[in-house]
Amino acid sequence: MAEKILRIEDLTMQFGGVVAVDHFSMVINQGEIVALIGPNGAGKTTAFNAVTGVYTPTSGSVFLGEKNITGLRPDQITALGIARTFQNIRLFSSMTVFENVLTAHHLRRTSNVFTATLRLNAAEEARMRKDTEELLKRVDLYEFKDEMATSLPYGKQRLLEIVRALATKPKLLLLDEPAAGMNPQETEELGEFIKRIRREFDLSIFIIEHHMNLVMGISDRIYVIEFGKQIAEGVPEEIQNNPAVIEAYLGGGEDL
Amino acid sequence: MWNTIFPYFLSGVSVGGQYALIAIGYSMVYGILRLINFAHGDVFMVAGILMVYISASGVPLWICIPLVLVLTSLLGFVIERLAYKPLRSAPRMSIMISAIGVSYTLQNLVLYVTGGLNQFYPTIPWISDSITIGTATTKIVTVVTPILTLLLVFGLVMLINHTKVGMAMRAVSKDFETSQLMGININRVISITFVIGSFLAGIGSMLYFTNYTTVIQTSGAMPGLKAFVAAVFGGIGSIPGAVIGAFIIGICENIIKGLDIILLKSGLIAKPMGLATFSDAFTFALLIIILVVKPTGLFGEKTIDKV
Amino acid sequence: MSMTEKKKISTPQIISAAIILAFYVLVFIAEQTLAPTSMIFTVLKKGATYALVAVSMNLLNGFTGIFSLGQAGFMLIGAYVYAIFTIPLAQRAAVYQYYNGGIVQFTLPVFIAMILSGLVAAFFAYLIGLPVLRLKSDYLAVATLGFAEIIRAIFQWDKIGPLTNGSNMLRLFPTFNDFNIKNSSGEVVVYLSTMVPLLISGVCIALILMLINSTFGRALRAMKDDEISAEAMGIHLASHKQLAFCISSFFTGVGGAMLAMYQTTVQAKSFTTAMTYEILLIVVIGGIGSVTGSCLSSFLFVACSEWWLRFLDQKQVIGGFEVPLLRNGFRLVVFSIIIMIVVLFFRQGIMGTRELPDLFRKKRSAAKKGA
Repeated sequence: MAEKILRIEDLTMQFGGVVAVDHFSMVINQGEIVALIGPNGAGKTTAFNAVTGVYTPTSGSVFLGEKNITGLRPDQITALGIARTFQNIRLFSSMTVFENVLTAHHLRRTSNVFTATLRLNAAEEARMRKDTEELLKRVDLYEFKDEMATSLPYGKQRLLEIVRALATKPKLLLLDEPAAGMNPQETEELGEFIKRIRREFDLSIFIIEHHMNLVMGISDRIYVIEFGKQIAEGVPEEIQNNPAVIEAYLGGGEDL
Repeated sequence: MWNTIFPYFLSGVSVGGQYALIAIGYSMVYGILRLINFAHGDVFMVAGILMVYISASGVPLWICIPLVLVLTSLLGFVIERLAYKPLRSAPRMSIMISAIGVSYTLQNLVLYVTGGLNQFYPTIPWISDSITIGTATTKIVTVVTPILTLLLVFGLVMLINHTKVGMAMRAVSKDFETSQLMGININRVISITFVIGSFLAGIGSMLYFTNYTTVIQTSGAMPGLKAFVAAVFGGIGSIPGAVIGAFIIGICENIIKGLDIILLKSGLIAKPMGLATFSDAFTFALLIIILVVKPTGLFGEKTIDKV
Repeated sequence: MSMTEKKKISTPQIISAAIILAFYVLVFIAEQTLAPTSMIFTVLKKGATYALVAVSMNLLNGFTGIFSLGQAGFMLIGAYVYAIFTIPLAQRAAVYQYYNGGIVQFTLPVFIAMILSGLVAAFFAYLIGLPVLRLKSDYLAVATLGFAEIIRAIFQWDKIGPLTNGSNMLRLFPTFNDFNIKNSSGEVVVYLSTMVPLLISGVCIALILMLINSTFGRALRAMKDDEISAEAMGIHLASHKQLAFCISSFFTGVGGAMLAMYQTTVQAKSFTTAMTYEILLIVVIGGIGSVTGSCLSSFLFVACSEWWLRFLDQKQVIGGFEVPLLRNGFRLVVFSIIIMIVVLFFRQGIMGTRELPDLFRKKRSAAKKGA
């Protein structure tokens, strides 16, 4: 009996007169890959931002497991076990690949500013570095560890952003259009990668995507949102044949 | 009681008008470039110095006045072209540092030229004459300032709302990039903004230094900062807001200067508390309060960042 | 070579350490041999003071991305706290002549007073940071500037004269020269008046460097790069900003105490925004984001202003012909022009984001940091 890792209940996000998300609910079970799809401007990233604490919901609640995380700060939510990537890559531009991932270990520190400054936390620092090294090796980014993060090719930057999120030791990983700008080959590799990390890191994954091949290929379940409202929910085959979904996308699946 | 307050109120209205003329420059430049032009107060000071030197060299006042206004406007234009335009695509901090650098440069240039000695502003006839209103004896400039300020602001608002140039300026403050795509000549709009702002600061300097006749290289720092606070208080980007903010600051600041005397005369305190030292600090306290309580100021607009 | 499990000390780092050590040794020797009034020592003492303040400002503005212009205010606080608590009891009546000797009637040892300077400055920073740190960068700059002005006004208020001496100078407190070791007849046996400030500065700057290279330093840099993604990686923005602000202000306060010792007098009205601007310009010239740059730039700046470019301020007559332009104040004009040139054309400053060891590293690929 799978535990519900994420529960969004009746979420509404209103900005002035605009209702971006309208009484939206969804559930992710432990270990699932769940996708949220919909036309542009449907409210997907807004929903993400409500889950990760960037926005405070106008009404409704978000639960991580049993814990109500509605209205918490983003850093608090990350500490509780939700990590995310961004639609527009947001790596730390002054840092190397290694430093980007190393910095994501900061939240799991036990030292304080005094012990860290005076190097009394040598064991902790060594552990963080070892963990960073291993993470980078597991995704074949280790050879680039001393390169400036933003000098990497686009596809590798996306990968790095995912790895950086993994360094925060999440239970739930949110991916915001991870395949954006990728060619079909890269997209397929990304799909394999996502399935792999789910297995290796024991994750649940919540993904926003427009590349339908990827979505249909890796998702266990899919939610479809339009104008902030849920219009369909189900496994990939059901969604592909759902008339409301087809209409929302104006007569055809949005293929590459 | 009112009789005691009135002289301070009156000088407050006057200096408020002078601050308003400076504040408009800050507000307009920030509205377009999102830049706090730290050098603006020093442009105001240079206008004062120019008047001192040009009139001292024998040029009659009726030529000096327009000449100084032209030179001040030119100064604003040149500063923008040399120190800000090259950094338009640089990170925000760079352009702010450049503004600070310009401020530093202007002050040092004036210090060099004047040798650090106090300069005395020439007496402009008529507005420097005395006038008595009620219990206050003051110079005519005190009365002329608010009236002139309001007229100029009215003219400016007309320009912004009813001319093509004004529409371009409004467009650029709303959306810098899109305006360029729509064919607006950004460089022209920005230059015009700086010219107008400096021109008004020039007029402000004539009124201000007729009242406080000493001019040295640091004369622009405080009025500049206070004018900036006024602009923020009123809502940065809003010209009426800057003007209202400036009058409020001018009035409050002067009342605080006289607060000891006011409180003494009304029997509320027994001896002076030395509160005048806080008249400057008041302005900054006001800034902090407004930034914390309503950062968009009285009339400003809220912007939402997209993640 | 792995730079991960345990950070091995690399050759460039050893070279850098050697250079710094050699510098201190040279200064010590110079101090015993050269005339104590030599310009070199003025430059070194003032340079050490400014270097500390510049590095503190760089920590805040350059590494954390908090554009604060309140440094003069914190230096003021540091200078006053130091002076107030170290003026010898016997002198207090003379210094606080209008305030019956002042209300503080005890003295603290010099180093305790300096630490206290930093702590009080950091405390004020904490209070100021509460409303101010959530403001956008331009507003934060003006708000901190405003606070510095408020502090300056408060310290001149004669109602608290018994503590601060109102608008009068504080003086007669221990200065750098008091570090010299004297023998029983009052002659100086070992000159330390330049070594000690350089050591104090050095220790403080070393601590700041250690902070920057720690996990907290990375968190601060992450906030500068991208606040939103730093927060998403679990970094609590408000508390880390306060941390940077308070630590920077602590060291700025200590710098203020050192400035008091250098100037031998303290007066609130000299801590103007122009002082903050000078520090900022020093940081920019050295390179925002380089501790080495801030140090180098501080010494360069002080050397030029106190020593090498002094001639620009003096009328020169060559062959009965007075050289135009050279008179009092020209030096500052030249500085201003140099600064504008750096700001406009050499935005990276002298060092960019590199530190001393980077100068000795072989050039790697073009994408390597600092290349």
